[in-house]
Amino acid sequence: MKEQLIKTAENALLMLKDRGAELAQSVVSFSETREFNVDGGEFSLLRTLFDKSIVLRAIKEGKRGSTSANRFDEASLKAACDACMEAASSAETDPAWDLAPAINNGSFEMGCEVDLDLFFERLKELMADIKARYPKIIMEQLIASHEKTISVYRNSKGAAFEKENGEYGLSLMFSGHEGEKSSSFFGTGVTTTDLSRPLIELGSIAKDLADVEKQIETENIEGKFVGTLILTPAAAQDLVGTALSNFAGDTSLLEGTSIWKDKLGQSVASESLTIRIDPFDERIVGGQRFTGEGFPAEGYTMIEKGVLQSFMTSLYVANKTGLPRAKNSSSNMIIEAGDKSLDEIIAETEKGIIVARFSGGAPSVNGDFSGVAKNCFLVENGKIGPALSETMISGNLAEMLKNILAISSELVCDGMSVMPYMAFSGITISGK
Amino acid sequence: MIKDLDLAKYKHLFAAGAESSLRAQMNRRRGAAMVMGNLVRNDRTDISGVGARVYKNGVYGFSSQADLTEEAIRSVLTAATDNAIFMDKHIGKGKGNLPAQPEGNFTEDRLWRELPQKAYVDAIREIDAYIKEKYPKLMSRSVVATADCMEKLHIGSDGMSAYSVLPRAYIYVGMTAEDSEGSPIELMDIFGGRGMFDEYFNDPSTMFERLDRLYERLMQKKEGIYAEAGIKTCILGGILSGMLSHEAVGHTVEADLVLGGSVAAHNLGKEVASPLVSMTDFAHHAFGKEMPLPVYVDDEGVPAKDAPLIKDGILTGYMNNRETAERFGMEACGNARAYKFSDEPLIRMRNTAIHPGESKLADMIASVEDGYYLIDTNNGQADTTGEFMFGVTMGYEIKNGKLGRAIKDTTISGVAFEMLKTVDMVSDEMTWASSGFCGKKQPMPVGMGGPALRLKVMIGGR
Repeated sequence: MKEQLIKTAENALLMLKDRGAELAQSVVSFSETREFNVDGGEFSLLRTLFDKSIVLRAIKEGKRGSTSANRFDEASLKAACDACMEAASSAETDPAWDLAPAINNGSFEMGCEVDLDLFFERLKELMADIKARYPKIIMEQLIASHEKTISVYRNSKGAAFEKENGEYGLSLMFSGHEGEKSSSFFGTGVTTTDLSRPLIELGSIAKDLADVEKQIETENIEGKFVGTLILTPAAAQDLVGTALSNFAGDTSLLEGTSIWKDKLGQSVASESLTIRIDPFDERIVGGQRFTGEGFPAEGYTMIEKGVLQSFMTSLYVANKTGLPRAKNSSSNMIIEAGDKSLDEIIAETEKGIIVARFSGGAPSVNGDFSGVAKNCFLVENGKIGPALSETMISGNLAEMLKNILAISSELVCDGMSVMPYMAFSGITISGK
Repeated sequence: MIKDLDLAKYKHLFAAGAESSLRAQMNRRRGAAMVMGNLVRNDRTDISGVGARVYKNGVYGFSSQADLTEEAIRSVLTAATDNAIFMDKHIGKGKGNLPAQPEGNFTEDRLWRELPQKAYVDAIREIDAYIKEKYPKLMSRSVVATADCMEKLHIGSDGMSAYSVLPRAYIYVGMTAEDSEGSPIELMDIFGGRGMFDEYFNDPSTMFERLDRLYERLMQKKEGIYAEAGIKTCILGGILSGMLSHEAVGHTVEADLVLGGSVAAHNLGKEVASPLVSMTDFAHHAFGKEMPLPVYVDDEGVPAKDAPLIKDGILTGYMNNRETAERFGMEACGNARAYKFSDEPLIRMRNTAIHPGESKLADMIASVEDGYYLIDTNNGQADTTGEFMFGVTMGYEIKNGKLGRAIKDTTISGVAFEMLKTVDMVSDEMTWASSGFCGKKQPMPVGMGGPALRLKVMIGGR
């Protein structure tokens, strides 16, 4: 299959060049997916999917066009190339469009082959474990898949990569129930190649199930106060990830609305914060090996001890703004562990909440956010209190990163990121 | 190409003692986006293939391939059947088959019509140039054109066979200005609807008046105030009542989420809203008009009809697929929809809306002593408990029955079935939206709408 994909990718490049493309790239892939579904607590579906994809990009006279299709036969390839060139000819000349030169071409084999019988046994065991240990949980949906993907990258400057990867993915959506009372729903998941141990032990699955069972009975807080926000690793991944893309991502840099645009090399966060974006970290499963523009991926430090070291810029936005290009385009965030345990962080908290899910809209470009603190508990006088409902939190993401009280020594790894618990001061927390 | 396939000739491959269906599908997408005059997106996507699903004794098997060849069709039917047999053998629900659906055929007249990419790029170029020249002080501007289309051909061992085409075309315009504190203030408007791009955007200059209104509102918002936090009497405009219908009520009454434990599980037949509130997931026509995104036959071969959800404040039904309809003793109304060839049908909404009432919007505003008129939203989240939070991007204070200053971005939140009980006026005009994708396991184009509602809701303030 890999040889066929390489042939297709190279053939497409030739076709684009024949049609006048000065720069061209093709990314061709094939994937095979096996997927089990549980719905409403019962196994319901087994899927087997064979998918293909070809994504073409052409640049002619500084004008760029792109097409996606999923057919590799000659006529379909020609049609896709024609469409790509037609799109390019409609565009404006923009000298910032470019592709990577051949730097360090490579071929990568990663991950695992599917073991469908073992996977199914592990899934049945997971459902049985949940029933036995967390009887109040209803599994609204479990999506459990193994996906094997072969991708081939080629561009007209000679960059060439191949990557084969196989990995299991679990996505669980559930809530806790007792009589007519129920918790909020909650989602958790992992990516893994490891079926050697029960799936309930992976990521934060067991902790999340246990917490949601405790969230069936909730209380409301009256009025509002400014206190400590402790985010679980998953919630921290969500909010810190949003902050990074908001302040250091392509769109806000290109628009000129990023509040970090002049902050490279300057402090943007508490000294305790070090963030790497690193698909090569051994805890990351199936990480990026080449970028969408044909550069070999490399891990990079985004924030070191609070100082901004890199933006998350594509080549295009780097060329457009004069900022340096980010060394990979993954979102594999790794935050360095702190020196306090979660228990110590809670013990030091006078008043605040611990939140596992933030439900709110996209924060505004200046970082102001507000939304509902879902799946959360009150923390008062150093102790975890009751679960809360209808609790809003608001603050500013940029300020939050400067007001980190503590980062936990525990790290949770879900195969896509490595995250601690994080505590922030100065968050407005309001009840009914 | 999809329309010309003869899927019926594979019917003899459908396994005995099971229910099989076969769907060939093409999804098209055309996109162009300009940020500050830079064409950052300029792409065309065509994705097609075939998928088969087999139901046996309460479990499903599915398989798909990115091809439309005879070999692919035979192969997905075999694999889907094997998968259903595997699940039946290991899970063994022993439920038997579902009641047969009436047979028939539906063929859509409308066809996708290809436009050159230049049509999309030229349209946004003209709009961007207009904004740049007329409003040079804006901090940033973005113009995005999208067109998409789901084209499906479906046959099953029972039920309707169907050929359907659902094209949509939109332009999104975003403007950002700086307020007196140097903070960026944003506002967006969406143009377009179901149909081909050139049906809406042949002459972008027809949009200029609405662009001027967008700018005017942005300037009002720039000088705007923060809404005072607390429970307030508000008029929710139709866009927000549509969001409420979809996010905070609609999802909780999808039968699969009911089985997953949503709040609706315990509320069937109970009062969940004011008697002024009725709500339906409309299939294809309502109030004498074709719906924004009509569905005539779903992807299980069920002829689509309206799914009544709330009648005069009482929760009367759920949205179902064939299996959950059987389980709940309800009627399947055509809510089983799949997004791509490689997707199995899920229970999805179509055109979900609160029904119009008899009040006039102007009278409703005039009736509020101290509150807010909330017009637009850019996002909404809701829980299976009915707890929701929507972003409000445009609105005005109401003082003594008159519209006052604009408000800056804020949020409203509450519990749907509690908030809907406070509705005491419903306007006689509907506003519909159809540009979004609803996210479940798969994305799906959905319509949502509603009249303006007067109610009490928690508003977030700053």
